[in-house]
Amino acid sequence: MEVYVGLGLAPLILTIASFALPLISLVVGDRKWFYHVYGLVFGVVALVYALVSYNMVVVLGKPIIYPFGGWPGPIGIVYEVDGLGAILGLLVAFDMLLVILYSWWYMWERDGVEWYYTLLLLLETGMLGIVYTGDIFNLFVMIELLAIAAYGLVAFHRSKKEAVEAAVKYSVIGATATTMYFLAIVFIYGTYGTVNMADLALKARPWLCLHDVDSCRYLALVSGTGYGNTLIATSIAMALALWAFTFKAAVFPNHFWLPDAHPEAPTPVSAALSGLVVKMGAYATLRFVYTLFGVNSTLDMVVSGISLRDAILVVLLILGAISAILGALVMVIQDDIKRLLAYSTIAHLGIVFMGIGVGLSSVDVGIASIAITGVVLHIINHSFGKTLLFMASGVYIDAVDSRSINDMRGLGKLLPFTTFALILGLLHLLGIPPLGGFFSKLLIYNALMNSGLVVFAIILVLSTAISILGYMKVIVSLIVPARPTELIGRVKEHPLPVAVLFVIALIIVMLGIWSLSGGIDYLSSLLNSVVSIDGAREYINSMTELSSRLAGLG
Amino acid sequence: MTNIAVLTAYVIVLSLYVNLGIALYGIFARPSLVKKLIAITILSDTANAFAVLVGYRWPRNALPKPPVIPELPVTRRVLEEYTSSAVDPLPQALVLTAIVIGLAITLFIAFIIIQYYRLYGTVDVRKVRRI
Repeated sequence: MEVYVGLGLAPLILTIASFALPLISLVVGDRKWFYHVYGLVFGVVALVYALVSYNMVVVLGKPIIYPFGGWPGPIGIVYEVDGLGAILGLLVAFDMLLVILYSWWYMWERDGVEWYYTLLLLLETGMLGIVYTGDIFNLFVMIELLAIAAYGLVAFHRSKKEAVEAAVKYSVIGATATTMYFLAIVFIYGTYGTVNMADLALKARPWLCLHDVDSCRYLALVSGTGYGNTLIATSIAMALALWAFTFKAAVFPNHFWLPDAHPEAPTPVSAALSGLVVKMGAYATLRFVYTLFGVNSTLDMVVSGISLRDAILVVLLILGAISAILGALVMVIQDDIKRLLAYSTIAHLGIVFMGIGVGLSSVDVGIASIAITGVVLHIINHSFGKTLLFMASGVYIDAVDSRSINDMRGLGKLLPFTTFALILGLLHLLGIPPLGGFFSKLLIYNALMNSGLVVFAIILVLSTAISILGYMKVIVSLIVPARPTELIGRVKEHPLPVAVLFVIALIIVMLGIWSLSGGIDYLSSLLNSVVSIDGAREYINSMTELSSRLAGLG
Repeated sequence: MTNIAVLTAYVIVLSLYVNLGIALYGIFARPSLVKKLIAITILSDTANAFAVLVGYRWPRNALPKPPVIPELPVTRRVLEEYTSSAVDPLPQALVLTAIVIGLAITLFIAFIIIQYYRLYGTVDVRKVRRI
């Protein structure tokens, strides 16, 4: 029986590693090198597990399952990884490893390393759990895990006024948002009688029982039934859940916490928060709007002329468009480099949500597939790009001990390697053709144009055009003015951050080459399970096949 | 199900919605962080009560029982009686998990409010508002 133990072990090992660290620190004391090695070791372990899971999914060509405690399907909690989960898991593990390597340099002289790595490993656990889980309640647990680690890391400099204020803002509204998601689960459970994603995907599409008789027979035996009005309960649940997800993803009007919270965290954490944590909201939205309640599901019912699912997607499109414009506009007037990058994150998440909104029921599956490929590619591109930019900004901030771009005038000439990587990262996010960022924006633009949403395609271009001003301001003030004489000799580049920056810069260039040479087709074949109805059936049947054998019914 | 049971259910649901409204008002409109924290706990308790209510069952001709099997050995008859009269255990498991997580979140927010008070000398967000 193909049960992939590694899949369930990855988050478990990381959780144990994270919670054991405060205890271990009682023995180790303040030998700081130990904590850095510890973090690196478990970063590598997570990457190995993510690679193995990814490889399994690619080799088998169908979702892989891990049932916790051997409990079958909808009765117990399962992890279910399809192409989308596998590729995002790999992204999370790889990006976190780079963040940990950068932390070696950043945290070497600072205090509280043991707490820092405890929270950082917990953050990674939460993200891996979110992308691997096949259970909406487990998703809630993992979102809370991720959230509490993120709150703790934002408040890491706890004697700094701004950090504490940002953490208060983030945690108070964050706790409200996740409770709303819990309420959404209650509504879904009441109506469908299940919290398993595959089971839910089937129950939301009752007509699938004509094709997948075995799955339906198995689920009719073991899965519960609900009561009440399906349409009303589903739309309330989606409204509550999407509020929580757009809060996590910092989409307008839930973006207010991000420009305070991300810059106040330690720089490697800013990179992880902006690069990965906000993407988890986009991932959860993708899962809910496509895998669970896709086209022709119970959410896709026509009420007074418009399908409810279409209405939700149009709202996501509009919110995405507002975020893209607002983020770009406010970014241009920032002087604080980390705040500028944080607003750029809002703009890019807006673009991601515009891509998610393309899959209206009137839009051809092929075009929706292009849009989703673009969305995932943009998530990957923005992850690496924003990680690089935050890391580079950390080097400048360390050099001048200020976050103001004005104080960094001419600094680029003193730190040539960092500046080279930074410029590459900025051009990548801007979407200059040979680099990766161009292709994801092009895919989303094409999908928007071909599905008749021309206004939103123009907004995408407009948002990019406005953000040129902000990015150019950074580049110009770094390299055009004369080098600051008082800093010559005092500022030098440390090899470790430069090495990490160059690894990411290399990845950015590779992403461009990969996209050009068939990478987009490969990615779109991996993401088939999200968009097409055949993919959804595969997602359901993989779970029921294994579970019915585990239950002795198959 | 008698009329009294239906009426009770409506009263409970209505009061939970009122609770929800009070909690959201507390979180978004009250300036004091401590009041906000209290409102958050009200909100999560309301959500938990909702979950328990969703799992409630009204068996015919019997009172609902807690989801525990009281007899050993477990025969078919015992199981049948259990499934026909016990309430749904899953929402209770969800609530248990949510309460534990809620504790962690509440503790964190309580700590951060204390830290806020130490640094700013107030827990009133209006006095600290920045641009």
